[in-house]
Amino acid sequence: MKIGFIGLGLMGRPMALNLLKGGHAVTVWARRAESMAPLLAAGAAAAASPAEVAQGVEVVISMVADAPDVAQVMLGEQGVAQGARPGLVAVDMSTIAPASAREIGEKLAAAGVDFLDAPVSGGEVGAIAGTLSIMVGGSDAGFAKVRPAFEAMGKNIVHVGASGAGQVAKAANQIVTGMGVLAVAEAFAFANKNGVDPARVREALLGGFAYSRILENHGQRMLDRNFKPGFKSWMHEKDMNIVMQTAHQLGLCLPGSAATAQMFNAMVGTGLGEEDSIAVLKLLERLSGQEH
Amino acid sequence: MKVGFIGLGVMGRPMAGHLLAAGHDLAVWARRPASAAPLAEKGAAVCATPAELARHCEVVFTMVTASADVETVALGPDGLREGMAPGAVLVDCSTISPDAARRIAAALAEKGAHLLDAPVSGGEQGAIDATLAIMAGGEESVLQRVRPLLECLGKRIVHVGPNGAGQVAKACNQMIMVAAIEAAAEALRLAAASGVDCARVRDALAGGSAASRVLDVMGTRMVQRDFAAGIEARLHHKDFGIALEAARQAGVPVPLTASVGQQLNALMAQGWGKDDTASLLRVLELM
Repeated sequence: MKIGFIGLGLMGRPMALNLLKGGHAVTVWARRAESMAPLLAAGAAAAASPAEVAQGVEVVISMVADAPDVAQVMLGEQGVAQGARPGLVAVDMSTIAPASAREIGEKLAAAGVDFLDAPVSGGEVGAIAGTLSIMVGGSDAGFAKVRPAFEAMGKNIVHVGASGAGQVAKAANQIVTGMGVLAVAEAFAFANKNGVDPARVREALLGGFAYSRILENHGQRMLDRNFKPGFKSWMHEKDMNIVMQTAHQLGLCLPGSAATAQMFNAMVGTGLGEEDSIAVLKLLERLSGQEH
Repeated sequence: MKVGFIGLGVMGRPMAGHLLAAGHDLAVWARRPASAAPLAEKGAAVCATPAELARHCEVVFTMVTASADVETVALGPDGLREGMAPGAVLVDCSTISPDAARRIAAALAEKGAHLLDAPVSGGEQGAIDATLAIMAGGEESVLQRVRPLLECLGKRIVHVGPNGAGQVAKACNQMIMVAAIEAAAEALRLAAASGVDCARVRDALAGGSAASRVLDVMGTRMVQRDFAAGIEARLHHKDFGIALEAARQAGVPVPLTASVGQQLNALMAQGWGKDDTASLLRVLELM
């Protein structure tokens, strides 16, 4: 399939490389030309703008930071909508608010472009390995058309529902992972303050109902005090803000998410934003006088 | 002075009335002409658009609900900016985000006009009694020019800082006030659940360190189970959105505000947004 890819950062680069490996013809565009170099070396073609990317492909994918970036790439000057041919499906794999995704979807529909929101979970590791979880919102026809591209990038690919539903699933994912990371960090701080080795506690818990991938993987990195991202805490803060703003608009009470969002907020405010979100452990230790 | 007023709701109507009573030459604009009628009867001129209002006035007050409302009235088509002369002043008494206040100030500055963000505290009673607390953000000289007008509306007028600072102060006000309402609700719920008379507890506390206006006013409403607004809870819910966003932008953790914000979300979900914020007691009773 002819696929366009826009946004070649930490996640986008390996995802686009996997599309090439899967035998797809890939055209790329990135704001900074040097970001395109590794893709061009691997056989991708370069375009001068998102509109030019859209002109020659059946599917165009964006993987950028935030809703204004998606809107700019899709709907802005020299955006995807301006270069779109009939039948083009635009796919945004960034994490943005469900309401923003629906709005962008409606505007693209008015320009004759089908739109899928398809955020991912699995981090840089999953992007490189091609094992991302992909949560898709949008039309059946659009999903069917893009599916081969999704299969080159991920494993667990679920069509969740109509436009915006993928982002709702991703926000739900961030609620579970955000609170999960905090829960593991609190359990380790608890063990530590009680004079018990958190490594042994982790081992004991892995066999029971508290087992989770977060306890296993993030927990191990906490024990190793390896706070390299992974998933930067400022990005988790951004995602929790999407959760909290949506809850505010809907009149939805989420006390645990609210508390977790404030922990991430404190991390960003005290210079932990560039570290992995497991650095919430450091914040807990600071608060309880367990400084390492 | 030639003064304009936009936003003639429960707060705005008595405020505009005070300006008129003090002998100022008052012009008004309202989306629904019926809202302007009571002031028109007392001699206020009614204008067709905010722009027309601004052409007649040296100072214009706005008292509307949300950031978007102020932006529309001030900067939209036929908005105030189109009619404001260099040196004219917009005094915005609405509670909006500090960011929005700074944006509006910058847009007015392009025409040589000024914004004073001047949100108020004191509620409908304070507006009627002209005893509002007014928190001003903007240039000192602009505040000096409009101070005689503000003195018609309130007693305590504090220049907090540059544009946006008044709204920051108001966000702080709302954080403290609504958290105190939640604290009163939790305390009275504990009293009730312990089989103790809530009214007596409130009376006992009124003489001690926990005494506060919130405990006095909202606590009484809770004891009497009088949830008719007062202050519509939906406005506090809106203000918490502003405070939490400002905290986020500053990277400042506000765990209590975030937690109370969730109780307000539950309150909204119950359909109590137009009732008094004392309804936080009813949210606890659901838990």
